[in-house]
Amino acid sequence: MSARRLLFGGLLVGCLALALLFLCLPILAMFVDVPPGDLVSSLGEPDALDALWLSLRTSLAALAIIIVVGTPAAYFLGTRSFRGHSLVTTLIELPLVLPPAVAGIALLAALGPKGLLGGTLEDAGIALVLQTAGVVVALTFVAAPFYMRQAQEAFAAVDRAQLEAARTLGSSEATAFARVAIPAAGQGLTAGLALAWGRALGEFGATLMFAGSFPGITETVPLAIFSRFALDFTSALALSAVLVVVSAALLLSVKLLGRSPLLGGPG
Amino acid sequence: MRKPSPFARRATPVLPASLAIAALAVGCGGDDEGEEPLVVSAASSLETAFTEYADEAGIDAKQSFAGSDELAAQIRQGVTPDVYAAADASLPYELHAEGLVSEPVIFAANTLAIGVPEDSEIRSIGDLAEPGVKIAIGAPSVPVGSYTREVIGRLPGPEAEAILDNVRTQEPEVAGIVGKLTQRAVDAGFVYATDVVAAEDAGLRAIRLPASLQPGVAYGAAVVDGAENPEGAREFIEGLLEGDGAEALKRAGFLPPP
Amino acid sequence: MRGGALEIRVGDRLREFELELDARVEPGECTALVGPSGAGKTTVLRLVAGLRDPPRGRIAVGERVLCDTDAGICLEPEERRCGFLFQDHALFGHLSAWRNVAFGIGAPRSERRGRALALLGRFGIEGLADARPAELSGGERQRVALARALATAPDVLLLDEPLSALDARTRAHATRELAAALRDAAVPSLLVTHDFEEAAVLAAEICVMDRGRVVQRGSAAELSASPASGFVADFAGAAVLAGEAHPEPGGSTRVALEGGGEVHSSDSERGPVAVSVYPWEVALEPADEPAHGSARNRLGAEVVSVTQVGTRVRVGLATPQPLAAEVTAESVAGLGLRPGVRVRAVWKATATRLAPAAGPAQPAPGSSPSPGGAER
Repeated sequence: MSARRLLFGGLLVGCLALALLFLCLPILAMFVDVPPGDLVSSLGEPDALDALWLSLRTSLAALAIIIVVGTPAAYFLGTRSFRGHSLVTTLIELPLVLPPAVAGIALLAALGPKGLLGGTLEDAGIALVLQTAGVVVALTFVAAPFYMRQAQEAFAAVDRAQLEAARTLGSSEATAFARVAIPAAGQGLTAGLALAWGRALGEFGATLMFAGSFPGITETVPLAIFSRFALDFTSALALSAVLVVVSAALLLSVKLLGRSPLLGGPG
Repeated sequence: MRKPSPFARRATPVLPASLAIAALAVGCGGDDEGEEPLVVSAASSLETAFTEYADEAGIDAKQSFAGSDELAAQIRQGVTPDVYAAADASLPYELHAEGLVSEPVIFAANTLAIGVPEDSEIRSIGDLAEPGVKIAIGAPSVPVGSYTREVIGRLPGPEAEAILDNVRTQEPEVAGIVGKLTQRAVDAGFVYATDVVAAEDAGLRAIRLPASLQPGVAYGAAVVDGAENPEGAREFIEGLLEGDGAEALKRAGFLPPP
Repeated sequence: MRGGALEIRVGDRLREFELELDARVEPGECTALVGPSGAGKTTVLRLVAGLRDPPRGRIAVGERVLCDTDAGICLEPEERRCGFLFQDHALFGHLSAWRNVAFGIGAPRSERRGRALALLGRFGIEGLADARPAELSGGERQRVALARALATAPDVLLLDEPLSALDARTRAHATRELAAALRDAAVPSLLVTHDFEEAAVLAAEICVMDRGRVVQRGSAAELSASPASGFVADFAGAAVLAGEAHPEPGGSTRVALEGGGEVHSSDSERGPVAVSVYPWEVALEPADEPAHGSARNRLGAEVVSVTQVGTRVRVGLATPQPLAAEVTAESVAGLGLRPGVRVRAVWKATATRLAPAAGPAQPAPGSSPSPGGAER
């Protein structure tokens, strides 16, 4: 009995160690391969900074759109039941399982010059393809489901009685949403935000297909890494390392923010 | 918030089953001597020609197509296909100098062309300098990109600058340029003449470049050092110069080696 | 204008039955809705609070109409000024105690904090103002919830089993505190409860609901003495007598009953109390026989009703306060029980429980010590 338990415990620990090794070794190797000096100097290249700055700007813009539109939408899905609820939820989550290339093709088919809404957009004077705005569209498309799915779950878990209590205390529905639902779902929302941000920062395929790649306009860090991969492996490695550091720092700060009492974390 | 997953109850049989499937899936990578397919890494622009070649010659080949530069980078990182075929002969020569591949063979030539949609009003390279024309070119790291810069560099300064100003995207692969063209995301793109041939069905046509601007686009292939099947690799490359391979290249619009 | 009596006349289609309620609660009074789970009690509260729209009916507080389906009026919950105490308190987990209380106070920040602290202070927990709900005990949470509901100075108080989340020890104290708070608020209140004793202590009138309808209404004593049905008899488990408690040496208590007579209890209490005793603890003996046995409580009584409840018989008594005894059919025959017959009701001091009365004159809480203590 206790031998079996020991065996199973060993199995668990072994699998965890294996997973940890497999997932962390490549990342570790990256830092082993790049002398810290190169890391810093590769940042000094204007193109690298351009790409980093562009990645930050576009991913933040995408996040802003996702938060502003996705939060109320997720609240609706998380707190209301209606016919076709699970269908709508599935449709929203669909981009999660799309390969990035498919996402790119789909965006072109919808918003490209020959796409479904291409003419409408052109008439409205909105240019997306090969523009920075196109990058934001691509990032929003692939990252939004990560946030919305988490947000929906978080809102669904909010105690309905708390929302009703807010109403009886004089809050309108909208105020109850802002003052009770959002803080109560805070941790889930920030976790979703972290995931979405990570996904947006790493986006490659959809961006390349829909927005192309041009330094300073549409060449985000992953595209810059790819274009350096052939020319100068060390520099690609350095930029990758920078992306890892920046992403890790962003994700960590979002998570810490989620823990803060301000957003309803566990004190 | 956390619900116990219904999956958990069934996890026990699922675990070994999934491991078995994983083992099956990678099983084809096992080492049964002699039956190994020939592994070919080739430039994107060679895809049509090489696929036909392998089919017709009955060669069991596992071919992957990507930017020549990217494939070279992989070889530098220790990947060893049997054959490396690049759209820029200088790449295999560089690898040869580094002792990674055998002496390269130039097996075909190509010309650079401007790809435009069939109904385009662009008639010559000069039209590309007009303001507002959207152009796709290859990234500097891929051969098509460096050839394009070579071509533009031969134009008078202001014209060259105007064209470069119109560049909206630098694609890491020829396929990306063709895709942007067929989707009308750009008005024109610098590609190989053979790419336009392959994309005729998608409504593209080629604008020839004056001979004075043409770069020497030479395709080079080499046997990779440490290849599992060097014999097969040599035969494959010989076939490109004479026989099924040469035929397939010709059909795809490639020129014979200079 | 503000204030006034709460008038409810609603009909609603619930899953398995129609809900019909016609009730009026005067300011400062509490009506309890009791009955089995799923009887529609909570639905009534939700209808009044506006958390559910009635298909038909009218709800008003004084002159103010909250809802009138004929007139097409239906105020949003936030416009109704109904304080709601939820079953599990429904405190905002992300806010500290004082912020919970201040949630509904529309005033500048500094003032809000002051008012919230004053309310917390009234319930003796101003020291916990900065604690999160998760850090509070059940009784403390209940008080924060009560303070929060009172903070907006509502016109009506709706209480959905406000004490059910508390353990028995905390409950007695909380009941007393709640009774005082309801009296001070001086607004009509509606209380939903499963607990007959709680209803007896807090409410002047009890509506027993079953499957959406009021099957009987009256005071606790009336219900307990003359249950309209077996269901009510069963529910009104304990008989309740009003009296004044006087502690005696040795820890027991002597209660002088209103209308005469006295009983003894092993509970400690002082001042106006509700004395409760379960009918099955009460034995009946002929009034003319000499007393025997060890039971300390003996009250002369007159039989007012005899109701068959299953295999047993409930006997309504006037002592003169209403009391109930539950006896076997043989006893009924043996004693010749029928209305008008005089008997003696006998039960033990240990079966006599005391609870602070909902009635008049009670020292205000706030100064009261921590919950628990010697009740029960």
